[in-house]
Amino acid sequence: MWKKLAVYFLGFCTSGALAQEMTAPDIIRKAMDHYRGLTSYSEMTMTIHRPDWERSMTMEAWTEGEKHTLVRVKEPKKDAGNGTLSVDGNMWTYTPKINRVIKIPSSMMSQSWMGSDFSNKDVSKDTNIIDQYDHRLLRQFEQDGRQVYVIESIPHEEAAVVWGREVLSIRDDWVLLEQQFWDQDGALVKSLKALEIAPMGGRNVAVVMRMSSQDKPQEWTELHTLAVAFDVELPANQFTLSNLRNPR
Amino acid sequence: MAFPVAAISTLAWRNLWRNHRRTLIMLLAITVGVWAMIFMASLMRGMTDQMVRNGLQTLPGEVQIHQRDYLRDPSVVNSMDAPGGALLARLQEAPVAAWAGRVRVPAVIASERGNRGVTLLGIDPVAEAALGSLPDELVAGRALDGPGDRGLVIGANLARRLETAVGKRVVIMSQDTQNNVAERGARVVGIYRARLQGSEDRYVYAGRAAVQDLLGIGERISEIAVTGHDYRNVAPWVPRIAAAAGTGLEVLPWTELDTFLGSMLVVQDGFALVFMVVVFLALSFGLVNTLVMAVFERVREIGLMQALGMRPGMILGQIMLESLYLLLLGLALGNLLALVTVKPLESGIDISSVAQGMEMVGMGTTLYPVLHTADMLMSTTVVIVLGLLASLAPAWRASRLDPVAALNKT
Repeated sequence: MWKKLAVYFLGFCTSGALAQEMTAPDIIRKAMDHYRGLTSYSEMTMTIHRPDWERSMTMEAWTEGEKHTLVRVKEPKKDAGNGTLSVDGNMWTYTPKINRVIKIPSSMMSQSWMGSDFSNKDVSKDTNIIDQYDHRLLRQFEQDGRQVYVIESIPHEEAAVVWGREVLSIRDDWVLLEQQFWDQDGALVKSLKALEIAPMGGRNVAVVMRMSSQDKPQEWTELHTLAVAFDVELPANQFTLSNLRNPR
Repeated sequence: MAFPVAAISTLAWRNLWRNHRRTLIMLLAITVGVWAMIFMASLMRGMTDQMVRNGLQTLPGEVQIHQRDYLRDPSVVNSMDAPGGALLARLQEAPVAAWAGRVRVPAVIASERGNRGVTLLGIDPVAEAALGSLPDELVAGRALDGPGDRGLVIGANLARRLETAVGKRVVIMSQDTQNNVAERGARVVGIYRARLQGSEDRYVYAGRAAVQDLLGIGERISEIAVTGHDYRNVAPWVPRIAAAAGTGLEVLPWTELDTFLGSMLVVQDGFALVFMVVVFLALSFGLVNTLVMAVFERVREIGLMQALGMRPGMILGQIMLESLYLLLLGLALGNLLALVTVKPLESGIDISSVAQGMEMVGMGTTLYPVLHTADMLMSTTVVIVLGLLASLAPAWRASRLDPVAALNKT
């Protein structure tokens, strides 16, 4: 998920003319390349909505490159301190109440992350969307004076991806407007949509995103970005188990 | 004086048919009793046999070899090298009929719409076929074509739960030896149906080399399953395999791998005997009653025979013979009836109406009665031994009659 977020966050403004000459892999690669090797800090609220209940939590997240992510819950109080560290596709959680770091076993990687519509795998996603998929520019259109590229990404035969294909709509300022997940029968299963885009941290950022599944429209998870900063200095031990356990 | 066997047996045989209606009723009772014993025994045999077979098919094999810690922690860390040297030599000679090395790890299979915990089996289809551990029936797609097959064969129920089908990709996830996530997309190439829905949900078959590749364990395997095709007779050769396997490996027969199955077999053997004895006890009242009546009717006649010089032993023998004839006739008819009724049913009795309950004890939807010669012999022995014991009392009474009193009885 954080990689996907990064595509939004790290999307940068270039001229539409430059982008027009780019091929589909280039468009994704461009955005990802700018995300890779950079660091970010963000603060966001995650709202999990179900027909009969709703809850929100506020979290801080740090990312470095593509393979390092640390998320720590700030609010509500009962969840405060819960952390998730993801390094190179492995994932650990820390719960201060039991004072234990637990490695998420592979059997749980497909399960929901903190009860949301994102899976653990979405959060720690080690699959590289550039390398593991074949990309094709489906079409391109103009929206509110900006070019939008619609790219179809089909996973390679043995890629660890269950989807039949993903369809990404990327605006020419590199904001990912929508990411759709289609099954192998050609039915839409779930989608991640940018509901609100605003400049933040010096870039255009999708400040509200919603993940919702197609057959359960009443159930969704929204991410509201409260603050974001790019290219921040991070200590060397930021993405270590000791930092997960003892934040400094 | 020689024991006039011929005369006594003629007498006994004719006596038997003096009251043919009574004899026929008694004969019918014995026949039905014997039939019931054998029929029930064959049903129970069928149930146990199937439970054991199902168990051994999914276990699989009658003997398994593992790395010493594997059964306590069936993770990829506790794998072992493919067999070689003395162990390989032992596995290739009689009484081992077939063996297969397999990778067996807990895994998660995920489709677009669901994910389930499963047991991933990396197999060599040819070796598994010889072992008899492949699923019974393929309902769609194809079987694995070799250890290098990169497709998956999954159960019909699992396919339904995951909403996937032949030709679709799923993701299989497990852990490698460093506890890192090992995952790969794979296409479902076949869907099988098993006798038990539980196995359909649980076992996912893949090519062995493909799984070894996924887990990064080279040529190592998790278990070796060995069969001699005679599950009742494994004890003699287990120690030989164990000796060849060495101390790092654990060699266990199925009775210890699945103690429930092992004890089932013993319990069932005992239960068949108990059942036969119970049926016979009910039967024996009729038998004793018949003989008592036969003796009672013939008190004067017996007195006369004694007066003419027939010795008590011969009287006893005559009554016992009468009983023996009756029992033998009943046994012959009962066994014949059992043979005639069970044989056509051996192809299976549909019990799908109670399938859910039967599945809990590891049974499928079809019951296959098994007619064992041992059961027929056991019921015959039970009937003859207990039958003669039961007829001893009236025969004894007859032989001890006082001739004078007997002759004067009106």
